[in-house]
Amino acid sequence: MKQVKVKLSKDQIKKLLLSGMGFFVLIYVYFSFFLGPLNDSRDATLKQIDELQNKVANSKSELTKTAKLEKQAETATSRFAALKALSPEGAPIAWFPPRMKTFFANQEIDKATARLETSAAYKETDLANWMRYTWLIELPQADFASLGKAIASLENSEPLLSITRLTIKALPEDPQFQQVTITASTAMVKR
Amino acid sequence: MALHLNLLHEEILQQRQRQRDPLKIGMMVLGALGALMLLYYLWNAYKVLEIRNRLSQAQHDWAKVEPKVTAAQKRSAELNGIISTTKVLDGMIDARFFWGPLLEKLSRCVALNAQLTSIDGSVVDDGKISIVIEGLAAGREPRAAAEELRQLLLEQLGQSYQQVKVEFKALEDLDTIVKIGGSNQAMARFSINATFGTQATKPSPTPGPRTKIREPRS
Repeated sequence: MKQVKVKLSKDQIKKLLLSGMGFFVLIYVYFSFFLGPLNDSRDATLKQIDELQNKVANSKSELTKTAKLEKQAETATSRFAALKALSPEGAPIAWFPPRMKTFFANQEIDKATARLETSAAYKETDLANWMRYTWLIELPQADFASLGKAIASLENSEPLLSITRLTIKALPEDPQFQQVTITASTAMVKR
Repeated sequence: MALHLNLLHEEILQQRQRQRDPLKIGMMVLGALGALMLLYYLWNAYKVLEIRNRLSQAQHDWAKVEPKVTAAQKRSAELNGIISTTKVLDGMIDARFFWGPLLEKLSRCVALNAQLTSIDGSVVDDGKISIVIEGLAAGREPRAAAEELRQLLLEQLGQSYQQVKVEFKALEDLDTIVKIGGSNQAMARFSINATFGTQATKPSPTPGPRTKIREPRS
């Protein structure tokens, strides 16, 4: 086999080096300033598309879940609305004592008075929008039988009211009647 | 043999050198490579444009759905809040102690020869109820009449509540004589302390069904 020896002059070697440098510069510029950013942009766009498609897919399940929850929560929603309706608009001290007075008057117990003892927020996070009010209801003259019926009726009509203390004392001058003090706590919506 | 003289030797050599110029060849190679790279770049750019179109389509889809999803998430959180609040409130309602039935039971226990002068009941923190009942009992044996009331209370309360304890806090004879049914009877003052639990006691765990059966010895 015949070997061909190419003899390059100095000038040619310089030119070859220049061409090589040009080649590397071209490759560098192409990848750094053209193809690289383009690929980066493509990758970022693909990532964004993936994220959006995932979001859209999740949103469908989210909508279905909410619709299911809406059906499941029907009872709870109506019950919650009913419990909330027990606390009318306005400060409780404005409407609760008259309500109690009317209630006991309807139960044939006159002169009922109710005064606010304490009010505090609940510790439970689920009851963040509710307040606990403690009332002192005084019935200076009540017949035991009427009182029993009235208390039973009160407990049935006011589900959020809980009697924590009950004191009944016979009146020495009129043993037919008793002096009653009821300590009750109620849960009411924060207004 | 004819003599062949190449008079253009130098010119031909120069032309050959020009043709073999490495810079020229390099520039040509670079040009060709550049053209190929440009084509490849354009192809990629076209693909990226296509992907961007897909992105804008996805963004459009998401923009359509997003308000609905946000509203759904808000509603879902609201519903969960309502459910948990209702559960807590229901728990509170169920845990209440009803005083009406207790007063009814008390009224059943008081006989004609006894009179209650004071009742003081309260709900203790651990769900127990504590009642202090004060009164007067009359009879030939007024202490026995008071004891009868205590026994009756224990029986009546035991029917509805757990861990019932009815104990005398004080029981003392009085000098006063009272006339009941035309006969003079002695009197005693009593103070009864009653405590009971409202919550049902936890049932003891029952053993599960037997899975292994002992085989008879052969």
